[in-house]
Amino acid sequence: MTARYSALSLLSRGLRGRNWPLVWRRHELAPTYDAVIIGAGVHGLAAAYYLAVNHGIRNVAVLDRSYLGGGGSGRNTAIIRSNYLTPEGVRFYDRSVKLYETLASELNFNVMFSQRGHLTLAHNDSSLRTMRWRAEVNKLQGVDSEVIGPDEIKSLVPYMDVSAQTRYPILGALYHPPGGIIRHDAVNWGYARGADARGVQIHEYTEVVGIDVEEGRVRGVQTSRGHISTPVVLNCTAGWSSLVSRLAGVRLPISTHPLQAAVTEPVKVFLNTVVVSGTLHVYVSQTDRGELVFGASTDPYPSYSTRGSLEFTEELAGHVLELMPSIAALRVLRQWAGLCDMTPDFSPIMGETPVEGFLVDVGWGTYGFKAGPVAGEAMAELVATGKTPDLISSFPLSRFADGRLVGEKGAAAVGH
Amino acid sequence: MTARVRAARSSRRPAETPFRLPPQPGEVIDRSRLVPFDWDGRRYVGFAGDTITSALAAAGVRTFSRSFKYSRPRGILTASALDPGCTVQVGDEPNVRASARRLAAGMSVVPQNVWPTLRYDLRSVNKVVAPFLTAGFYYKTFMSPRPLWPAYERVLSRFASGGWTSPDAIPSYYDQRFTHPDVLVAGGGPAGMAAAVEAARAGARVLLVEEEHELGGSLRWGGAQELEALGRLRADVAQAGIEVLVDSVVAGRYDDNWISIAQRGLPDVTERLIKARAGILVVAPGLIERPYVFAGNDLPGVMLSTAVRRLIDLYAVAPGSRAVVLSANAEGDAAAADLDRVGVEVVRVLDARRGEDVRRALGRGTLSAVEVADGSRIDCDLLVTATGWTAPTSLLNMAGNQPVWDPLAARFRPGEGLPDTVLATGGIVGDGSVDELVAHGTATGALAAARAGFGSAAVVAPLSPHPHPALFRATTHGFVDFPEDVSSKDVMAAAAEGYDSSELVKRYTTATMGPTQGKLETVNTVAVLAEATGRSIEELGTTVWRPPYAPISLGALAGRVSPPARYSPMQPWHETHSAVPLVAGEWIRPDSYGDPAAEVRAVRSAVGIIDVTPLGKLALHGPDVPNLLAAAYVNKWAKLDVGSVRYGVMCAEDGVILDDGVTGRLGAARYLMSTTSSGAATVWQHLESLLQTEHPDWRVHITPMTTAYASINIAGPRSRELLTRLTDVDLSADAFPYMRVRTGRIADVADCVLWRIGFTGELSYEIHVPASYGLHVWEALLERGRDLGVRPFGVEAQRILRLEKGHLIVAQDTDGLTKAYDAGLGDLVKLDKDDFVGKPELLWQHEDGAQQSLVGLVPVDPSIVPAEGCQIVDGATGILGRITSSRRSPTLDRSICLAYVLKQYAEPDTVVTVRLPDGRRIPATVTPPTHFDPEGARLRG
Repeated sequence: MTARYSALSLLSRGLRGRNWPLVWRRHELAPTYDAVIIGAGVHGLAAAYYLAVNHGIRNVAVLDRSYLGGGGSGRNTAIIRSNYLTPEGVRFYDRSVKLYETLASELNFNVMFSQRGHLTLAHNDSSLRTMRWRAEVNKLQGVDSEVIGPDEIKSLVPYMDVSAQTRYPILGALYHPPGGIIRHDAVNWGYARGADARGVQIHEYTEVVGIDVEEGRVRGVQTSRGHISTPVVLNCTAGWSSLVSRLAGVRLPISTHPLQAAVTEPVKVFLNTVVVSGTLHVYVSQTDRGELVFGASTDPYPSYSTRGSLEFTEELAGHVLELMPSIAALRVLRQWAGLCDMTPDFSPIMGETPVEGFLVDVGWGTYGFKAGPVAGEAMAELVATGKTPDLISSFPLSRFADGRLVGEKGAAAVGH
Repeated sequence: MTARVRAARSSRRPAETPFRLPPQPGEVIDRSRLVPFDWDGRRYVGFAGDTITSALAAAGVRTFSRSFKYSRPRGILTASALDPGCTVQVGDEPNVRASARRLAAGMSVVPQNVWPTLRYDLRSVNKVVAPFLTAGFYYKTFMSPRPLWPAYERVLSRFASGGWTSPDAIPSYYDQRFTHPDVLVAGGGPAGMAAAVEAARAGARVLLVEEEHELGGSLRWGGAQELEALGRLRADVAQAGIEVLVDSVVAGRYDDNWISIAQRGLPDVTERLIKARAGILVVAPGLIERPYVFAGNDLPGVMLSTAVRRLIDLYAVAPGSRAVVLSANAEGDAAAADLDRVGVEVVRVLDARRGEDVRRALGRGTLSAVEVADGSRIDCDLLVTATGWTAPTSLLNMAGNQPVWDPLAARFRPGEGLPDTVLATGGIVGDGSVDELVAHGTATGALAAARAGFGSAAVVAPLSPHPHPALFRATTHGFVDFPEDVSSKDVMAAAAEGYDSSELVKRYTTATMGPTQGKLETVNTVAVLAEATGRSIEELGTTVWRPPYAPISLGALAGRVSPPARYSPMQPWHETHSAVPLVAGEWIRPDSYGDPAAEVRAVRSAVGIIDVTPLGKLALHGPDVPNLLAAAYVNKWAKLDVGSVRYGVMCAEDGVILDDGVTGRLGAARYLMSTTSSGAATVWQHLESLLQTEHPDWRVHITPMTTAYASINIAGPRSRELLTRLTDVDLSADAFPYMRVRTGRIADVADCVLWRIGFTGELSYEIHVPASYGLHVWEALLERGRDLGVRPFGVEAQRILRLEKGHLIVAQDTDGLTKAYDAGLGDLVKLDKDDFVGKPELLWQHEDGAQQSLVGLVPVDPSIVPAEGCQIVDGATGILGRITSSRRSPTLDRSICLAYVLKQYAEPDTVVTVRLPDGRRIPATVTPPTHFDPEGARLRG
């Protein structure tokens, strides 16, 4: 069924003018599935993929109310890294980076993971201190991370103004060589293709309008295309996760904020590193197509709007030009926004809920994409075994009721 | 580059211009002003008013770039800002639209994406590689072996399109401006001009913005009747008192008609961002001519009918010598007539309305022949297509309007539903004669003015689109997206593979993601997708148009970059006394005056003064201040007497330490709160949030006073002696004990506040004096204390002093994870209080007990100062804690630290291992946090 992708097959099909088979097939809704996953983004698709591959559970439906990968998974700035602050965070994201590193060959789909290095700039002694702390924790976990000075920054990014005359002088940076960027759509499509090949059914344009709960147990979901019976529903949505959970009667401590991004016209590649400045609220990388991709922190007010604002581009431009003053002539081509589900402790919610069979993998704030593979793998294990894997045991919904909040605020806020 | 420069020097004789026509009635060039410039190393001369491409086309240049994937030669297609193959490098500026940028004398223009050169044709190579390079090919290959991916990536990224930047480019001048027009008209064609005139006549302040260099839209390349109408409208605009911006584009429409405009063509300003809050926005961008998809549709020599008319009528340039015209509308017919009029041989006019069609364009490098649908072949060097229009509905989309497909007119149109503050007129709405367009514009202008409060409401008669044949693709495959090198075949292959919605096909093939953002490409892409999937264009819809409508420079968006900096009133003194600056958030303040160790010794032995103006200061007034303090701080405040100060700690809802400081009671209902320097804004917001959302009934008024006072800390055993000389306040230990506050005169300055508190561990007074007298009091202290050995000290000395004393700094010795109990502040938390911010979390923390403790730490080797952030380790990877502060103590003559360690290691004299950044592991001994004067005798004396 699935045709293997390779240079040779590409050439032979190209020469013979033969089309490729569907990257994922279309199906009618079946009346019953062993598990239903809501949200065909990287989290939902990865969970479906690992359910099929690691646990042999293939009678699974992934539902999305729009096109595949159209939410946060297709709107983020595709930065991958594992240089977190807490040992738990480092371990979790390091597993994700490891999965990303082998994803292309595992999925036979080039996700173009470019481990070009990741710089987090320090503009004052307190952020320099935090960088040192992160570097030391990372090193002890076997993650490549080091604090470097302005000269090394300049040699990595010749366009950077590292002089002392700027308003926020660059004192140093946390350099994380394995960090980088990835082609986010390719990750979504690759997981979809891999899950499809193993029997998972992906249903786009299928909106969940109700979740049937009887005696505290999930019985099925109602969709815009009909009813499905299932004992397990996994909510992998972002932006609307609290609304979807409420269909099952589960309330989540989540508020939704827009996160904006923008891209410039392409120019010849001059920036080979991901650059992040927490002080200036900006992160920037250059794609292989030559576009600069920018992001900032979330909008300060809750909203479901995915429209961009002018203020965002103005501030972004000002901050980027403080870092790299010589690129003022570059033009912004497009801006957009995605939705981020923020939790009180800036950490995701993964695991069971008071409704038996209704599981959540939500609340991913601004850092969901980089965790897609590991979260999918862990959620698949939870669905298959009924046991919460250690790696995600600190993130249950119940922590907000019994006071065991997770602290990754220091590393996650504007940490891209 | 150097080769090009040499070539340029060697060919100073400008190229001839055989394609320049005799004067045309509507031409915009000034033949009396010659403008020399360089293109690809050669000298050319154009006329003032020429664009880069019109001047080069006059000289017979037909190829302006090569496509980034297949390296295909590309020429003029639209002769407008959208021209996809005419993006060039001008000096340091990449991606200049050569068909819109006017010539400037001495301009150095070079082609982009020329590999190996603009002229060398790589078509033979392409024929071999093309089947391999189908859309999305990179997703299917370069996967193994994995270690080679970085090398593959380098090759791929070499293909990145676009111009180049330089790290040494000197940024030119950019600017911003605000404006508040009653009516803003986006688009200066006939309807837009008429709307602007009518609105202005009704009394509205009108701003008219036109993307091109002159007003007029398509009238400019019309016949005598159009030129006459144009003259009339321009005269009306001039008389109506309208502000007109040309070479400027409305880039975005945001909430409440917040409008961004990129203004170009100003002297000495590269680009200016105008931010307009418009009462009413009238959207009048006209129509964009749509390219036709067929084999060879990207060959230089294949042009749209509007491009032909622009070249002939505006720039007096013959677009070719032998032309074939494919026309489905009046504009195509007019282009054929224009060509005929200026002597270009029109070999054949194919009437698409009668089913005539082209099959493919042929040629090596440039067009040499056309194969017609009937199989005949016509030699020609120009193929003109006029196959339909696209309505640029972006600005309406940004106002929430969804475009709908009109199958009769074969274009998208604005759908139902616009905010009352947004109107549309002209070609975007419908078709008509010049008079009909002007009438619609006039009525729309009157309605806009009425809605803005001028004149009476008007009725706008509808303007309907004319029927137009639905033409997107011939029987062959050609490019749907020129800059992205995406063909109709790619779109069909993507659809067959399952990337079959507008959004997926865009993301997979990258069609519509290039510099024109779909203005030329979207409809053809969707049409081909419809053909491939058997669905209709209505069903598929378009992708979302996102701002900006036209690209806008980072420079203009940033404006004049001048991030604010805050200074104390004593800063001039600091600067003349060799202060080393410290950038601390918004503030710039002295880190030291050159010798922090000596400054520390001065404070310990005599007296020092430090400028602490950045300390946050909030004046609190009202009967409910004690309630607010009790809610915000974790400790108790009910019994704070007038004249007393108390230390307090605030936690956030999650129990994590937010800020600390002292608050003093100056009068019955008058308090002064101090916060950390970095926490001033946060605490103010936090308190206001408490008052406004949790306790709106409390009567408290908060006034931020941070910069109203200059603040100075006077510390050291002789501080009392020094301050006594300057104040009428009784400073004796009995009259003014530790943790008290007084008000009085200092150095003849009234209304000063004096706290007796200490962060350095010495007897000390913190004084807050009206800011304008700050420098006076500072100098008086130094002057009057000279015999006492007074010395200014900076932040670095203060950090050492407080570290010797073991005082924590919030956000250094605490972080986003530190709970009150971990930081040793548990005794302050009063869980028996009714309620306060963070109480539920702190209750849980109290039950769980602290996991770690803040302790003092001294390396066994006193000469080693471990970097802040170093981890305290156990075995290879176990983490037992970390160092938050470390310095060399001049007082103790050794290194000292504050550190967190797990509770079981917190006992004094425990020896732990510190891992240094270079990997060395050193032993260190746990101590109490206070390294110096643990009894506090010096402080309370």
